[in-house]
Amino acid sequence: MKQSLPVSTPELSAYQVLLRPIKESDLALLRGWRNSDFVREKMVTTSLISEEQQYAWFKKICHDHTQMHWLIEYRGKPIGATNVKVPVTGETVNTATTLEPGLYIGEPKYQGNILAFAPTLALYDYCFKYMKVDKFRAAVKSTNVAALKYNQQLGYQISSRDDFIHLCLQKEAYERQTVTLKSFLSRLRKS
Amino acid sequence: MDNQQKLVQSFVQALGVEEGQVTDQLTYNTIKEWDSTAHMILISEIENTFDVMLDTDDIIDMSTVAKAKEILANYDISF
Repeated sequence: MKQSLPVSTPELSAYQVLLRPIKESDLALLRGWRNSDFVREKMVTTSLISEEQQYAWFKKICHDHTQMHWLIEYRGKPIGATNVKVPVTGETVNTATTLEPGLYIGEPKYQGNILAFAPTLALYDYCFKYMKVDKFRAAVKSTNVAALKYNQQLGYQISSRDDFIHLCLQKEAYERQTVTLKSFLSRLRKS
Repeated sequence: MDNQQKLVQSFVQALGVEEGQVTDQLTYNTIKEWDSTAHMILISEIENTFDVMLDTDDIIDMSTVAKAKEILANYDISF
């Protein structure tokens, strides 16, 4: 059965960061980040995640073709996590033309830093170039001004508002809007 | 204008803040004027002022005025 096959999540490297598939050994670190006040208060589900809940989630995502999850590394150290999910029933990440992204930077030093754009640029470049994706959509809490600004800097446009602000990103807008960001985050290292 | 004054003016120009706000302790993302958009403008301003090209790690690490001086020192700019 197709859905029982393990998800093949590619490793992505660009803009100084490495996105690698989440491993079971990452779970304690991820849970600590996910349960921190800084990350949790911005999530749709703000409750604390238990070890058992997280393990069940991990077992599910390993075989769930409607989502892909990565750990983000910078200078060889983990700094956060990102993912994409399919918003439309019946699609997989490999067939969907629209995806919903998720991201948090768990390492406090880089929260709100320009580096927080790097994993998203790496991920979107990959999705637009190598997958069938031509659009991303996102929903942020209306109180989360930082996330709204972050998404708008990537080229997202507001499509509607209720308890959440719903946003949409077309490939052309993304490419137009991120030229400067990409140029700052893709310079060569001195050593 | 010495390097200290040039750096302060770079922050004033890029962030639109008063000179008095530009202390060594001024930190990225702690004032609304220094967000990620302003950070890119600031980097451009500093690069033009001091005729340097920072690498990406420096751009990421430049989180305070003091850190900016420390990074620029690596490009032979003294304060």
